[in-house]
Amino acid sequence: MPRFTVAGQHFAGQLASGALIIACLALFPLVASSYQLSTLIISMVFLLPALGLNLILGYAGMLSLAQMGFFGVGGYTSALLAMHFGTPFWLNFSAACLVPALLAIPLAIPALRLRHTSFVMCTIAFVFILESVSKNWVGLTRGDMGLSSVPRPRIGLWSGGFIVHTTVQYYYLGLLLCVLAVAALVTIVRSPAGRYMIAIREDEVLAASIGGRTWHYRLAAFVLSAAFAGAGGSYYVHYVTVISPSVFDPTYTNTVLVVVLGGGVGTIMGPILGGVVFIALSEVLRIAPELRMVVYGLILTTSVFLFPKGIVEPLTAVLRGAIPSRARGSHGR
Amino acid sequence: MVVEPRTALSLRGVRKAFGPIVAVAGVDLDIVAGEICGLIGPNGSGKSTLFDCCTGLLRPTAGRVLAGATDITGWEMARIARQERLLRSFQKAVVFRALTAEDNLVLAGQMTAFPGLAATFGCGQNTRRRVRELRDRAGVLLERVGLAHMRHAKAGEMSFGQQKLLQFASMLMPEPRTILLDEPFAGINPVLIERIVENIRAVNREQGVTFVIVEHNIDVLRDLSHRLVVLSRGSILADGDPDAVIRDPLVVEAYLAG
Ligand SMILES: Nc1ncnc2c1ncn2[C@@H]1O[C@H](COP(=O)(O)OP(=O)(O)OP(=O)(O)O)[C@@H](O)[C@H]1O
Ligand SMILES: [Mg+2]
Repeated sequence: MPRFTVAGQHFAGQLASGALIIACLALFPLVASSYQLSTLIISMVFLLPALGLNLILGYAGMLSLAQMGFFGVGGYTSALLAMHFGTPFWLNFSAACLVPALLAIPLAIPALRLRHTSFVMCTIAFVFILESVSKNWVGLTRGDMGLSSVPRPRIGLWSGGFIVHTTVQYYYLGLLLCVLAVAALVTIVRSPAGRYMIAIREDEVLAASIGGRTWHYRLAAFVLSAAFAGAGGSYYVHYVTVISPSVFDPTYTNTVLVVVLGGGVGTIMGPILGGVVFIALSEVLRIAPELRMVVYGLILTTSVFLFPKGIVEPLTAVLRGAIPSRARGSHGR
Repeated sequence: MVVEPRTALSLRGVRKAFGPIVAVAGVDLDIVAGEICGLIGPNGSGKSTLFDCCTGLLRPTAGRVLAGATDITGWEMARIARQERLLRSFQKAVVFRALTAEDNLVLAGQMTAFPGLAATFGCGQNTRRRVRELRDRAGVLLERVGLAHMRHAKAGEMSFGQQKLLQFASMLMPEPRTILLDEPFAGINPVLIERIVENIRAVNREQGVTFVIVEHNIDVLRDLSHRLVVLSRGSILADGDPDAVIRDPLVVEAYLAG
């Protein structure tokens, strides 16, 4: 009989539920209206930077408010490549992950010397700088006017291929990107490096005392979080087909924070759930424009009082109840 | 011909000052490989600071620290742990609270299983096999310290004594050469103290691991250590056979005077 570790059984269960969720989401366009699909597309736009924030905050324990800065850099990168060189989506998208990641390295060198609130301050400052660059480097970004008529995603190896333009097509593209991103995040956090990141979040000195190269893993978390954010920027810019310095507005950063903190930081399902629920909520509330943000704010406050660890909390509690205790108890193998 | 015994750790004029406060005032000390050395001294005499200087948490204001023949002065903590297998426990922080007992040990073992940085990002067959081996080893060590039943419990939910046992076990994961323990018996009941003492003896005998142990429980230390060093106001006051050191009038006076 094969031997399964408790962790292994747990992981198999998570894989199965993941597959189920993907299947449901893949079938959703059969029953959903175009409005519902575009709401989910917005969720997916925010989910990508949220996954990055989840990695750096939830696993490595550093609050970075630079996510939407990297999102913007990814968006501009992707848009400019498509506009000037007519490159296919996969290439624009890869560059949109790579450029923010590379940009994160020089930024990290001063930032990672800092801890706690000073680090947060430093990441806020990055966004100011990026916003200012996007406004003033008119030759590249067209300043405040921003870039418009960004090409739609062209799915092809090099030339030709087909152009994503319907809502359903955008939905499936987003779903594919999000599934890949979640898979990447799961791979990272389950690797030995991911375990070191958690150790750093828990106690940085203790992590160093058992040989963890804390600086390297904090750098890795920062760089990877930038790549996730850039991915979101690329998907976003080819969806709305415009981008301007307003992308660096703190409102969007707040949305990412709501998705991650409201959903459940440091869990895989939390931000996914947060992305769907909180974005959908803010869309639904458009029926009452004057009261929208008041109600939204009240719901967020209530939610955080009920579920301080995020709305994923009651869900995991339900799932725990469903799994027989033998599979997770302290009996070992 | 007399063969010089190998030293595990040498301090040469190590001094550490925090502004006007001199915590360690020039310490020369050779820890012989394979010995269990007790380190005692009144509160604030600089014992923990000395450990911090040896393990790279603090950089000495002056002096040098050698592990074996390697000068490790100014090295980062993680590098000292990885390259010299010089590990230490802390007086306060003990375990990674959000992780299970088993994962705490796996983490501690990762530095031997994944020496390179890139390898830690792996997710393939090889990585999974090595992590599995670490889990098996963790199981053996948990058994050894009597925590087998807590294997999948969150470390933060364990009692203080159990956390100390877990911390001790985690230092055995990465094939250590030298272990510095900072008050391993503080707040532990006599039964658990006995268990830790047995484990220290066994690891010392079987694997030749060198121990330096800071502890206020002098009775336990007298039985356990081969040698006792007394620190007072940052300097070494006495050094030698435990029984002789404890009877030394200078030592008695230093302890009573505080
Ligand atoms: N980070 C620091 N900043 C300033 N002073 C410090 C610092 N760490 C230690 N000290 C001072 O150095 C001296 C030695 O402290 P240390 O913690 O090494 O003593 P100790 O022998 O471990 O005491 P205890 O038995 O109480 O643990 C004390 O006077 C302490 O106040
Ligand atoms: Mg101390």
